[in-house]
Amino acid sequence: MRIPCPYCGSRDASEFSYSGDATLTRPAPDNADAMFDYVYLRDNPVGVHREYWYHDAGCHAWLTVTRNVSTHEVIDAVLAHDEAAS
Amino acid sequence: MLDLAHIPAFANLRSMGDGRGVIARERRGIAVATVMARKGQSAALAAAVKEQFDINLPLGPHGSGSDAMSFLGTGPGRWLVTHDAGTPRFVDSLAQQLDSLASVVEQSDGVGLLRLSGPALLEVLAKGVAIDLSATAFPAGSVAVTQIAHMGVTLWKVDEAPTIHIAVARSMAGSFLHWLEASAAVAGLVVDS
Ligand SMILES: [Zn+2]
Repeated sequence: MRIPCPYCGSRDASEFSYSGDATLTRPAPDNADAMFDYVYLRDNPVGVHREYWYHDAGCHAWLTVTRNVSTHEVIDAVLAHDEAAS
Repeated sequence: MLDLAHIPAFANLRSMGDGRGVIARERRGIAVATVMARKGQSAALAAAVKEQFDINLPLGPHGSGSDAMSFLGTGPGRWLVTHDAGTPRFVDSLAQQLDSLASVVEQSDGVGLLRLSGPALLEVLAKGVAIDLSATAFPAGSVAVTQIAHMGVTLWKVDEAPTIHIAVARSMAGSFLHWLEASAAVAGLVVDS
């Protein structure tokens, strides 16, 4: 699998670390029920999913990658920093 | 009294095999720094670099400047700066010149630098680099942060001879040399002093 890093270009997946679901927002720490759900009750979706990948052997940027987890087709990759700013 | 000796990162670089497929030279005495733009200061940093050094700060994975001084794009808002003009305490003065615009970190003793050329260079690098370094995909001026045999490297293509500069963490210099010697021996590795 290759990931099109917006900074570096197309790179092998071995250069990246997978960092989980990009569709969730971390709840306030004092909301124990919401935190329990956030930490433990994760979905296991098929098909298109959005997830964080960290380019640790390259530009050290966090990416938000849209990927079909059934076929490994990578549909889109953007800098998570840019996405958060927009 | 203990005397400290200055030992270059690639002091053990030596010729291997027959032929002149890869020509290697350690770039010594070069000041190296990482520069990271402070939040919201990218445009001001680019203006300061242009004004103080007449260098266009690259926004992507490219190098700007010359052997004397270069800014290499290594990530969003991050550069590796090399300086070969012998200015004493260069990194200290760079930090002052870019004060409040960027974080400047001294790396001169942290990385080893090699200059590689020779007719078999791309063939040999292909044994370790998982990206296309040909002239179409990686023209002169291109920079890549990637890995060779699990060791982090920064590559900069200087010209299409091809000549490639490579930066490796100093603690990995011995292992990197082992990889280079083993990979280049078949084509011949020559040390150009
Ligand atoms: Zn990258």
